[in-house]
Amino acid sequence: MSARRLTDGGRIDRSQTLRFTWDERGLSGHPGDTLASALLASGERLLGRSFKYHRPRGVMSAGVEESGALVTLGRAARRDPNVKATTQELFEGLAAAGQNAWPNVRYDLGAVNGLLSRFFVAGFYYKTFMGVPPFEWGRGTGMWMRYEKLIRRAAGMGTASRAPDPDRYEHAHDFCDLLVVGAGPAGLAAARVAAEAGLDVLLVEQDFELGGNLLNQPHDPAATGHARELAAVAAAGVRIMTRTTAFGLYDHGVAGLLERVTEHLANPSPHLPRQRFWTVRARHTILATGALERHVAFGDNDRPGVMSVTAARSYLNRFAVLPGESVIVATNNDSAYAAALELARAGAAVTLLDARDTVPEPLSTAAADEGIVVHTNTAPLQAQGARSVDALRTAVADGTGWRTGATFDCDFVAVSGGWSPVVHLHSHRGARPVWNAALACFLPGECGEPLHVAGAAAGIWDEQACETSGRAAAAAAAAALGKSVPSVSAPPAGGWSAPIRPLYEVRVAGQKLKSFVDVQNDVTAEDVRLAHREGYVSVEHLKRYTTLGMATDQGKMGNVIGLALMAEALGKEIAEVGTTTFRPPYTPVSLGALAGRGKGSHFRPLRRTPMHDWNLAHGATMTEAGLWQRPWFFARDRESLAQAYVREASTVRTSVGLCDVTSLGKIAVQGPDATEFLNRVYTNPFAKLPIGKARYGIMLRDDGIVMDDGTTWRLSETDYFMTTTTAHAAKVMVWLEELLQTRWPDLRVHVTSVSEQWAGTAVAGPESRAVLAACVIDPHVLTDESLPFMGVVETRLTGGIPCRIARISFSGELAFEVYVPADYGPAMMDLLWDIAEPLGGCLYGLEALGALRIEKGHVTGAELDGRVSIDDAGLGKMAAGNKHYIGSALRKRPALVREDRPRLVGVFPRDRSQTFNAGALLCRAEQVAGHGDGWITAVTHSPALGHWIGLGFMVGGHAAWSGKPVVAADPVRAGNVEVEIVSPHMYDPSGARMHG
Amino acid sequence: MAERVSALAGHYSIGHAGTAGETGVSLCDMHGLILHQVAAWPATLVAVGEKAAREAAVEAAPGPGRAAVGKRGALLRIEPLKWWMFGAAAPALSAEEGATLDLSHSRTHLRIEGPQAASLINRHLPIDLRETAFPVGTVAASVLHHVGVTLWRSQDGFELFLPRGFALSLWEVLLEGAAQFGAEVL
Repeated sequence: MSARRLTDGGRIDRSQTLRFTWDERGLSGHPGDTLASALLASGERLLGRSFKYHRPRGVMSAGVEESGALVTLGRAARRDPNVKATTQELFEGLAAAGQNAWPNVRYDLGAVNGLLSRFFVAGFYYKTFMGVPPFEWGRGTGMWMRYEKLIRRAAGMGTASRAPDPDRYEHAHDFCDLLVVGAGPAGLAAARVAAEAGLDVLLVEQDFELGGNLLNQPHDPAATGHARELAAVAAAGVRIMTRTTAFGLYDHGVAGLLERVTEHLANPSPHLPRQRFWTVRARHTILATGALERHVAFGDNDRPGVMSVTAARSYLNRFAVLPGESVIVATNNDSAYAAALELARAGAAVTLLDARDTVPEPLSTAAADEGIVVHTNTAPLQAQGARSVDALRTAVADGTGWRTGATFDCDFVAVSGGWSPVVHLHSHRGARPVWNAALACFLPGECGEPLHVAGAAAGIWDEQACETSGRAAAAAAAAALGKSVPSVSAPPAGGWSAPIRPLYEVRVAGQKLKSFVDVQNDVTAEDVRLAHREGYVSVEHLKRYTTLGMATDQGKMGNVIGLALMAEALGKEIAEVGTTTFRPPYTPVSLGALAGRGKGSHFRPLRRTPMHDWNLAHGATMTEAGLWQRPWFFARDRESLAQAYVREASTVRTSVGLCDVTSLGKIAVQGPDATEFLNRVYTNPFAKLPIGKARYGIMLRDDGIVMDDGTTWRLSETDYFMTTTTAHAAKVMVWLEELLQTRWPDLRVHVTSVSEQWAGTAVAGPESRAVLAACVIDPHVLTDESLPFMGVVETRLTGGIPCRIARISFSGELAFEVYVPADYGPAMMDLLWDIAEPLGGCLYGLEALGALRIEKGHVTGAELDGRVSIDDAGLGKMAAGNKHYIGSALRKRPALVREDRPRLVGVFPRDRSQTFNAGALLCRAEQVAGHGDGWITAVTHSPALGHWIGLGFMVGGHAAWSGKPVVAADPVRAGNVEVEIVSPHMYDPSGARMHG
Repeated sequence: MAERVSALAGHYSIGHAGTAGETGVSLCDMHGLILHQVAAWPATLVAVGEKAAREAAVEAAPGPGRAAVGKRGALLRIEPLKWWMFGAAAPALSAEEGATLDLSHSRTHLRIEGPQAASLINRHLPIDLRETAFPVGTVAASVLHHVGVTLWRSQDGFELFLPRGFALSLWEVLLEGAAQFGAEVL
């Protein structure tokens, strides 16, 4: 016999039918169903195979604590494993399938593991496959390495899709005065009271309906109490989020929420994200997270047809599914009686086992009135039946232990072993839960934060008391937030008419049983005792050795039983054994939600220059320079990268080239003390830089190592325009701000990043002056007399575009950098290109820029890698001896002034037809070993020299290696190449071309 | 005079985007921004503030995190010693008084308005935009998809200033999120 749908009642909408598939078979349910309730109503019992033993499993709960009905949802790229059927809302077209089974969950070949289960105890794999005696004695873990893949495939949960996730996710922030987690009786009352007191309240509920345990009670559509309460909550202005889980609490009132936006929809809007990851900042938080009903460890307590009493009640009352006709309700506390009565009223034959020796009035009378036979001092011992339960062996109390009792035929067993308040979120704040022996549960401990716990989460069992505690928590929060509200005294924990009889495991001496403590992780009571015998007695070790409470379960179901069994084995009280730390997330959070929109092209923000589209339209292939998109090369007629950059570099040396240099960092340095500031920051003197001139400058770090280089242009007495490298723009800006704010607050200087304000182009080559002269309104300002090398001029381009021009050169040719306000960038390029193109000029990219600067021995980030002193870079003459500047003291450390430090050098292949790679080590020819005497930082084909060249660092500098044979060692790539060490200034060392 | 080209040029489609039949937000590239920084020294803060206020025709220069709107322009207090003059030129200052700087091309100015404007912005910005916490006239520096931005709530909506180089990338990610609300690109 199996479950069946009742003809009336429940909170489902029978007027609509939803079709779905289970293992490719068509079934149906109704709006308001979960996948679990629809499967039960369709007569499905066996829904899963367990993690390790492949045991048959069915629905065991009606919520997030589910350990049995873990299924795979969706198909292809949307295949989502380990979905709890008990929380998945049913929708039209839903496709679900069993997992961890082959060929399917009903006939699973992996079930052979169950027959061998006496071997598969805790630690089995480690004991068996690591250092297998006698083959691997003292020889490591070879067999484990070989079989690990197979073992991991045999054990496990479902498998995720390997296709890219087609869904969208997003992040969101929200703020509120009061966050209420959980919309049961306590949460609803708290939210309403707080909102009526004038607080901005956010109420989050993981279910798709508000009500919590109220939803599990008999549903009478005519009774409108619940609906009235919900209307009052909404009318009070409470902001309500359903299908939203508060998965973690963090510092300063920050809560992490996961909202499932479209997972219940058959045809979601393409504009909606599948999930939202919320960061909520609340001034106060009320946790009304309820409690989870525990099971009891007894033989085969994981058989389909065994579930918690509250789940049975939920399926009966909320989903109108009678889970069995012949029902046994086993309990050790009062809470199971209501469900037993309701099951009996719905037509089931109900037998009640109560582990206690007496049943309190009025429960006993009520049970008798419904024809329920109550057996006191009785508990379940072993479920019988192959794929689902068909009988229950019982045990009868015998002193402090148990002896075998009667066996009852049944088709359904509902178990209540007591209640565990959901203290997870509270624990996230570092508050250890406190064991309450009288209620046999952990209660939330002291926290010291604006955090309140209400309702069953605080161990309050009575519904009215839960509401009162919600009101009390709300009043406390409102008062703390400055609202005048009458205070409400919070009711104490508890609320049963007779005490619970603590019951964690039922066993009879001499009987071997498979009694599950943690059903999801296949951990049995024997495993816990084995862990104890082998010395894993700390709860943290117990968890790691047995996997108790691990993974998505996070100890919701089995933890307390595991602790109780360990306490028993140790002869201690549970309070002395302690509890493991609950960590976020409370329920799983998908990786997609963590990533939000930050994937694909939005993995990082792209930074484009104002000429980005102009460059693309003119044939640029782009590359990344940090976040910047920069032209790499401009191929013509299907040129390769190598062909293109060699042509571009040659064109710059013979005619003219244009290069987008907008990405250079640009900083306005302004104020009466700007000159003094620059003089302290740069190694070389800036005190006497004339207006209208630029100077190349080097900055050191405090420790004397080079930080960055660039040019600074003096625009007026108190106004400078500094450029930095692309890579270090932000770092330099932050550094200058730090200096002004912390070391020299007396200097009247403002620094402002103007990197985005100005678009820049390098115009380089013998024809550069001619090109530029044709584009400015007053060409005479560009003559060699008006604008000598390092001269600066502010003027306008044709069309009135304001511009700044400096005659500076990175390429070693006659060259200018031209800057215009960014919105005019494309217009500047049009003007320059209209002149440069007919002159045989070119557009050049980063690759040609690199070739030109390597020929000249100009350093960049590849050389200035945070280890290089100013002398190492060959720029020691730029360090002034007669002033103090950042790094001036520590650059003279003995280690930084040694003659044998690696110094910047040029590198030629001895055989000029050969090439070598950046990253190769430079070794003296007679000792090609170890780290060598230097390394290569940059390489290129030199169009000017006609062969391959490189820059690098070599101990003692190039003079020390003149005429000596050196090898560029590159053992794992190109092999070894004989090279010569030469001056880094490999082309036009006198600079005649750029001065000319 | 050459035309100014917006950072979004060529990638900006006027019209409705996303959920049909709803307009939760409208977004507008307020092209042609005029923005000048007005910076003072600690000793000249009050005097420079007065000069800037006169230039913008506002009663008093706004304090930290606030904006003031006048007939000629708006002043936004963006740093302890700095204002932004929006929509007008900076007052002439001697170096002894302070420093001014043209930043008109450095930012892309978006205006976001509509019933879901705050929701859209809070998809990225971790600041409290509820009316009580961020009323009209509030200015804040914050972060949008890793990039530093400035947000000002004016009478007309949320004025968002994005660094120009990142503007297109941020526009794309904003518009993607706006689609769910139904977005009108103006």
